[in-house]
Amino acid sequence: MKKIKSFLFAAAAVALAAPLFTSCGDDDKKVETVEKVVENMVSEYTYNDRLVAETKAKSGNKEAVLLIAFGSTWNNAFLAFDKTVEAYKAAFPKADVFMSFSSDICINRASIGENKDDEGNIVKRDYYEPRYLLHAIGAAKYDKIYVQSLQVIPGEEFSAVVASVKKFMNNGYVASAHLDDDYLKKLQDEEAIMFGMPLLFDPEEDVPAVAQELSTLYASETQDGVVAFMGHGNPETYDTFKANVRYTQLEDELQKINPKFFVGTVDMPKNYKQDVLKRMKDAGYNDGKVYLHALMSIAGDHAHNDMAGEGSWDEEDPESEENSWFEYFKHNGYTPEVPTVNTHPQGLLELEGIRQIWIEHTKEAEFFEDAYHSMYPEEEEE
Amino acid sequence: MTVKPFSESCFKTALAVAALQWLIVLCVSAQSAVWKSDSLQEVVVTGTGTRHLLKDAPVQTEVITRQMLQQYGGRSLEDILSGLTSSFAFSEGDMGSQMQLGGLGNSYILVLIDGKRIHGDVGGENDLSVISPQDIEKIEIVKGAQSALYGSDAMAGVINIITKKHTQKGVYAENSTRYGTHNDLRQYDMVALNIGRFGSQTKFQLQRSDGWQNTGEEYAEAMVITDSRNKTVNKFAGWQIAQRFTYSPVRNLELYADGSFYMKNINRPRNGTHPSCDVYTYDLHYKNASASAGGKWYLNGSEGQSQRNHLALDVDWNLHDYYYNYTARTYEYVLLSGEQFGAQNGEWFSVPMYAGQKKLQSDQQRVMGVLKGVFYLPGENTLHAGAEYRYDYLKAPDRTESGSASDRTAALYAQDEFNALKWLNLTAGLRFVHNQNFGVRLTPKLSAMLSAGDFRFRLGWSQGFKSPTVKELHYRYLHVMGSSTFFNIGNRDLKPQTSNYFSANVEYRGERLTASVTGYLNRLNDMIALTNVPVGEIPAGVTTAYLGDGSNNVQARMYKNMDDARTFGIDVNLSWKILRELSLTGAYSFLDTKAHLYDSAKDRLTEVTIDGMAHHKWSASLVYGHAFSNIYKMGVSVSTRGSSTRFYQNNGNGKPFQIWRVNTTHDFGRTGKLLTYRVEFGVDNIFNFVDRTMRPYHLGNNTSGTTLHLAFSIRFNYGKRSKQQHNLLTPKISNYEED
Repeated sequence: MKKIKSFLFAAAAVALAAPLFTSCGDDDKKVETVEKVVENMVSEYTYNDRLVAETKAKSGNKEAVLLIAFGSTWNNAFLAFDKTVEAYKAAFPKADVFMSFSSDICINRASIGENKDDEGNIVKRDYYEPRYLLHAIGAAKYDKIYVQSLQVIPGEEFSAVVASVKKFMNNGYVASAHLDDDYLKKLQDEEAIMFGMPLLFDPEEDVPAVAQELSTLYASETQDGVVAFMGHGNPETYDTFKANVRYTQLEDELQKINPKFFVGTVDMPKNYKQDVLKRMKDAGYNDGKVYLHALMSIAGDHAHNDMAGEGSWDEEDPESEENSWFEYFKHNGYTPEVPTVNTHPQGLLELEGIRQIWIEHTKEAEFFEDAYHSMYPEEEEE
Repeated sequence: MTVKPFSESCFKTALAVAALQWLIVLCVSAQSAVWKSDSLQEVVVTGTGTRHLLKDAPVQTEVITRQMLQQYGGRSLEDILSGLTSSFAFSEGDMGSQMQLGGLGNSYILVLIDGKRIHGDVGGENDLSVISPQDIEKIEIVKGAQSALYGSDAMAGVINIITKKHTQKGVYAENSTRYGTHNDLRQYDMVALNIGRFGSQTKFQLQRSDGWQNTGEEYAEAMVITDSRNKTVNKFAGWQIAQRFTYSPVRNLELYADGSFYMKNINRPRNGTHPSCDVYTYDLHYKNASASAGGKWYLNGSEGQSQRNHLALDVDWNLHDYYYNYTARTYEYVLLSGEQFGAQNGEWFSVPMYAGQKKLQSDQQRVMGVLKGVFYLPGENTLHAGAEYRYDYLKAPDRTESGSASDRTAALYAQDEFNALKWLNLTAGLRFVHNQNFGVRLTPKLSAMLSAGDFRFRLGWSQGFKSPTVKELHYRYLHVMGSSTFFNIGNRDLKPQTSNYFSANVEYRGERLTASVTGYLNRLNDMIALTNVPVGEIPAGVTTAYLGDGSNNVQARMYKNMDDARTFGIDVNLSWKILRELSLTGAYSFLDTKAHLYDSAKDRLTEVTIDGMAHHKWSASLVYGHAFSNIYKMGVSVSTRGSSTRFYQNNGNGKPFQIWRVNTTHDFGRTGKLLTYRVEFGVDNIFNFVDRTMRPYHLGNNTSGTTLHLAFSIRFNYGKRSKQQHNLLTPKISNYEED
C-alpha cells in the first residue's frame, strides 16, 4: 500500500509540474517584448555599422554608393547583380559600392544557400537590408552618399526607397541607434546626400533614351517579327505616383522608332498580354514571330515562367495569369521566341547600354533637398 | 516492384491469391478463435452520445475496433485511418496533416479525443501526432453533420478517438516501444492506479522520425534542379505528458481533473543550397497545453445498470502555440508599435531574428464549458440535452491587423431517440447556435432506422452551420513552400457556411458476415476556401515587402465563399469471418465533388476542383490469429490500401497508388498473469511503391517505400482483474465514456 501511495504522489507531482513547462525555460530566447525587438534591431545596426566601417577603413574611400534592388533568390539574378556592382565600381572608382535588397525573404534565403559565381564556384552571398546599410553608411560618415534605386519605374517600391532616405536624414531611428546629428546636418549643408532615380523616371529624357537603346539592341528582331516587352507594373490599388503610365509612354516612344515594338505588363490594368495582343492585331500583325523580352531589372520568376513558360495551357480561360505570354501568343497563331543568354532570358541590368543609363542616373543624382529634419520638427525644438 | 494502381481486376486477383495462399499454407485447425472480433458485441457512443450496440446504432457509425488496431500495428493516426478505412485521404504536410473525409478538409472534420474536441490548427491542418497510436482503444466515425451533440460545424463528419483506460482496482503499467525505418520511434507509457474512490492515470508518449526524401528533383529557377534537399516528410520530434485524476466522493458522483502538455519540433533541411527552393532560416515549433475538470452525477439507478439518468459538466481550457525557431539570421517584416521605438514607431521594418531565438506566430486558446444530461423517458424515449459555450482567442502579433482576435459561440441542443415501434427507431436532434458575429441559427438532424432480422435500413438528414473561424476572418501570413510563395489573407466579409447532408444505408450483420452500403450527398453553400486573388488584394503596408520587380512571384490567396459545392459518395464496408481464425475486412469509397466559384473579373461562375479529391479509394485486411499454446498467440495480417488519381487546382494531380503491408503480432504470457508481453514485426509497402513526382507537384501518396517496424510492449497488472469486454452487458469501462 505504501508503494502505491508513493506512486500516487509521484503521479500528482508530475501532473502539477506539467503546466510549469509552459512558462519556464526559454523566455530569453523569445523575441516578444518591445525591448527584445529593439535589442535585436540595435544589434543589427551595430553589425552593419561595423561591416561598413571595415570596408571604409580598408578602401579609404570617402564616397559611398548604395544600390537598392528588390532582390532575388535566383542564381542568374545574383550574377546580374554581381555585374552591376562591378560596373558601378568601375564608374565610381573613389566610392565604396554597396548592394542591398529590399526583400527580406531574398536576403534571408540568399545568405543561407550555396550559390555559384560566374565560373561555377560555390560562393556565399550576403545581401543587406537598405535601411540598416544606409544607417551604417551614415555611421561611417562618408562625405558623400549616392542612393540609387534599381527599380524600373518610379512606383510602389521606389516610394519605399524615398521613405528610407528621408528617415535617414531625419535621424529616424530608435534612440540607441541615433546617428551623429551634426554629420547629417553637414550632409544637408554640403548637399552631399544624392538620390539616383529609377530607369524610367523622366518621361522626357529617360523614356526616349531607353527606347533608343532597346530598339537598337533588338533591331534585327524586327526584321522578321514583332518584339514584345513584359514589364511588371503595379496593380491599380498600388499604382503609386501613377507610375504605370511609363510603360505606355515607352511603347509610344518605341513605336515612333519602329511600330513593331510593344510593351505590356503582368499587373498593370488594361496592359496585360491580351491588351498587347489586341494592339498587335490592330496594327495588322496577325501572325509570325513574336520576340519576348523582360522589361524588369533582373530575369526571375516572372520572366521565366509568366513570360517564357512553356507547356501548360488553360483552354477554358486563355487570359488566365497561369497562361504564359509564350503559350498565349502561340495559341493565338504567332510563333513566340524567347532569346536567351546561357539559357536565361535577360534582365535589364544585364544589358550594358541600359545598365549605363542607371549609372548615368547615379552620376547625375540630385541632391535630396529639404529632407533633413523634415519629419520630426519637435525633435529639432528639443 | 510497383503494383499498377487501381486496376480493379489486378486488385481483386491479388487479393484472391493472397487469401488462397493463407488458406492453404496455414491449414486452419479447429482450435478456439484467439481474437473474437465479434462485431455483434461492439458498442458505439459517438452518433447519439448514448451507448448502443453497433448493429443497433441509430446513426450510421463506422468503427475501427481494438482488434483491427492491434493487428494493423499502425505508425500514426494517419496511418491507421488511411489503412483501415477507405474514407480518408492524407497528405502529411509541413505543418500537420492535411486530412480529407468525403472530399472535405480538416476544418470540416471534427476530431474528438474521448468526446472532446482537439484544439489548434496551423494553416488549417491539425497536428494529429497529439494522439499516440498505441493509446487508441478504438475509433468511431460518424459522417456528415449527423450528430447534434458535437456542433453542426462537423460538416464532413466526426472522428472520435477513444483512448485506453484502466479502471480496475490496483496498479497497471504499460510500456510500448515501436521502432522502424527512418529512425521512427513511437514510445508510449501509461501508469494507472485505482485505490478506493480515487484513480490516477499518467501517460507519456513520444513520436519522432528522421523524415525522408522521395526525390531530389524540383522545378525551380525555371529548370529542374536535381539536388534539392527538400524532404517529402520533414524530420520531427514531439512528446506529450498527460495526467488524469478521478474521484468519486459519493456513489452517484464521479469527478475528474486532467491536464496535458505537448511539444513538437519540425526541422527543415539545413543543408540546402538553392535559395530559391531548399533553404530555410527557421524550424517550426509547437506547444500545446490543456486543463480540464468536470463530473457526472447519476440521478437514479446503481452502478452496472445501463440506463441511468445523469447530468454532466465539463469545463476545459486549451492552448496551441506556434513558433518559428530561427536557425540563421532572418529578417522579419513587422509593424513596429510602441513608444520605445521612438522615431521608428509605426514603421514597417525588417527586424532581425538570430539563430537560437524564437518568435510567436500564433497563440490559439479556447475555453469550453458543456453542461448536458441524458434522460431515459417513458414511452421508449431517450433524451439527450445540453448547453455549450465556447470562447476562441487568437493572438498573432504579426499576422493579424490588431494583434489579436476572438470569437464566442453558445449552443443549446436536444436529441431524442424514440423507439416508435419494435422495428423502428427515430432520432431527431436540434442544435441552436448563437455566434457573436453571425447571429443565430437552428440546425435540425433527423435519422430513422428500420430493423428487419439481421438487416438495418437507415436514413439520415442533417443540416450543418459553420461560422468562419477567427483565422479565416483575420489571419494573414506569408507561406513559403519551397519555390512557391503564397500570401494568404483572411477575409472579414465571409459568410457562414451551411450544409445539407443526406444519407441512406443498408446493413447486414450476421454471425460471420457483415456488409454495409451507404450513399450520401452533402450540399454545401458558401463553402469557404483559399482562392487565388490578384496581388492588389495584399494589404497596404506589407505590399512592398512581397511584390518584386519580377524576381519572385508571390501568389495572393484569400479566403472566399464559393458559391456552392456538393460531394456525393458511396461507401461499402465488408467484414467476413471466413473461418474461425481467419477474417477479411474490406472498404471501398466512391467520391465525386463539384464546386463553383464566382469569378468577379469575368463575371461568371467557374467550376473548380476540390483539392485532393479522388474518385476511388479502398482498403482491405486479411487477418489470421492462432493460439499455439496458452502462453503464445500469434496474429498475422495482410493489408492493402489504395487510391485512384487525386485531383488538384494547381501543380498537377496526385498519382494513383496501391500499397501492401504485413504485420505480425506475438503475445506471450497467460491472460491474467502479472506480466504479459507482446512483440510486433511488420513490413509496410512491401512492393516498394514510391511516388517520385518532382516538387512542387502533388504526390498521390508520400510513402517512402518499403519500411520495417518492430514493436515491443510489456504490461504489468497488479490487482483485481477481470476480462474487459467492451459491450453493453458489462458496465461501461470508465467515466470517460458518454452513456
